[in-house]
Amino acid sequence: MNKNVITNLTIKQMTQSSAMGFDKSYLARSSDVNFDILGKAFANTGKEYARLKIAVENNTCQSDNCNFEINRMKQLKEAPKDALDFLSLIVAEVETTEEPNFDPNNNYEYTVINCILKQRPGFSKTDGYDVALYLLEDGTQDLVFVGPAFETPLVINNSSLNSLYEAGISIVTSTPDITKEMAKLLTEVNIFHMEDVNTNGELKANAKIKEQFILKNPDGTFIYEVVDLGNGKGRNLLQYDMDKIMKTANPFVESEISGLLAVEQEAVAAWNVYLSEGKYWSYTEDLPLSQDKKDLFAKKYKDYFMDNYLKKFTENQVPTNPEDAAIFDLEEVKKAKAQAFIKANNL
Amino acid sequence: MPIGAGAIVGMGASLIGGIFGSSAAKKAKKAAAREARRLEAKLNHLEENRQEVVNPYEDFENLSGMLSNPFANLGVATQAAEIKREESDLALASTLDTLRATGASAGGATALAQAALRSKKDIAADIEQQEAQNEKLKAQGEQQLQQQKMSEAQRMQQAGAAGKQFVFQVQEGREQQQIDRTASLLGQAKQAAGMAAAAQTGAITGMFGNLAQIGISQIK
Repeated sequence: MNKNVITNLTIKQMTQSSAMGFDKSYLARSSDVNFDILGKAFANTGKEYARLKIAVENNTCQSDNCNFEINRMKQLKEAPKDALDFLSLIVAEVETTEEPNFDPNNNYEYTVINCILKQRPGFSKTDGYDVALYLLEDGTQDLVFVGPAFETPLVINNSSLNSLYEAGISIVTSTPDITKEMAKLLTEVNIFHMEDVNTNGELKANAKIKEQFILKNPDGTFIYEVVDLGNGKGRNLLQYDMDKIMKTANPFVESEISGLLAVEQEAVAAWNVYLSEGKYWSYTEDLPLSQDKKDLFAKKYKDYFMDNYLKKFTENQVPTNPEDAAIFDLEEVKKAKAQAFIKANNL
Repeated sequence: MPIGAGAIVGMGASLIGGIFGSSAAKKAKKAAAREARRLEAKLNHLEENRQEVVNPYEDFENLSGMLSNPFANLGVATQAAEIKREESDLALASTLDTLRATGASAGGATALAQAALRSKKDIAADIEQQEAQNEKLKAQGEQQLQQQKMSEAQRMQQAGAAGKQFVFQVQEGREQQQIDRTASLLGQAKQAAGMAAAAQTGAITGMFGNLAQIGISQIK
């Protein structure tokens, strides 16, 4: 595991474990969480605005036609709204780090920012953290985070963040809940009857795969797998035509995959959390996804769906006919088979 | 959990609530837009990869090859006629030999020869009739068999076509259902994105009512 993953997981564990509540040294000291972000940023803006306004009104501007002064006044007027918008966008982004299936391969610094803004124990001014908002001359704003977890100050510009937001790109990737999606997908792949789906769009507990997918003899009887239950007893289990099942389900599964790959950064998160088996993809190095990676994603997604969702409906399925479902004596069945063979072959 | 008040500035809860409300709306808008993107791609894939329309009758074959005219080679009982002639000749010759040997009159010989000839004629006619009848029955049997074979082949083709049509319709129905469902979800996701955007605007507008609290009212 890399440092980023370890840091993310450590912070997660720390914030969820309540361990700080039992740390006497933490309890013994005061903790200053008053970063006063807006207060500091706007401390002198009132004076500056007044100065600019007087200059414009008295025609004592330093720039031609008071262009600079008027422009700056406009910026200062809009700055509070922009600052609030900026902060709310940062909160919206970094709150993703709290999601239960959050991918720890996301940059851990955003997890730290979330902890600072949420005043989590261990991320106060007393612990060495600080945040400052700067109103830049070009009208944009920088939010700068410093503290022990940051190797260098982390700077986020509101204009850049906003552009990403408008383009549908996140600085922290939310992981799609593919387990929930797969449970829904199961009802859509055309191998269960619609009557087996409840009003919530989920499969009922007693749902069975359609009979057309069960293996049968040419005479229409089922081809059972006989399992040895021990103590000389056995029972029949249904067998399924897996090729036929996959062929039928495939178009629906592939359209689901196609949807997931439409938001590639989320596909990376889904890969890392559910499918990768430890072979993580990087948000900085593996995006955009190569065709090889897309193909690998599709393959693993299908395997995951098969192993964790479909298989349980094809394994250990007892015949619905009570006579065939009954437990029987294996020895007797063997004898009956032998006799039938002798009779059929006139031996 | 809402953003920590102290993190921003020590101020009223309504402004903090506004930031939180706006961030929640932004998150919702982003999630709805992402969902719409995902559903759009899914819908496109479903539409582009619909199963090909099948012709359930494509395997139908021209079955006329199975037909032949069983009456085309009906045998004429010429062999019976030949036998009849040969046997009559033979009988006549041997009767004449007998008459010569016994010294019978010429009239007796003629009568005998005529009787023999009649007898042979009857037998030959009977054989001929039986042979013709057998031929006819054989042809009728063959015709019946051909009709049955043809009828079974037609039934099998019809069943195959109906099966194909059924499978196609079930898959087509499910695909269409899925397309409709995805399209409907896409509409919902877009609507949710719109609503979230409105909520975001509302939250920010609400915050302006509280700007005085952050000590920057003098710039308004």
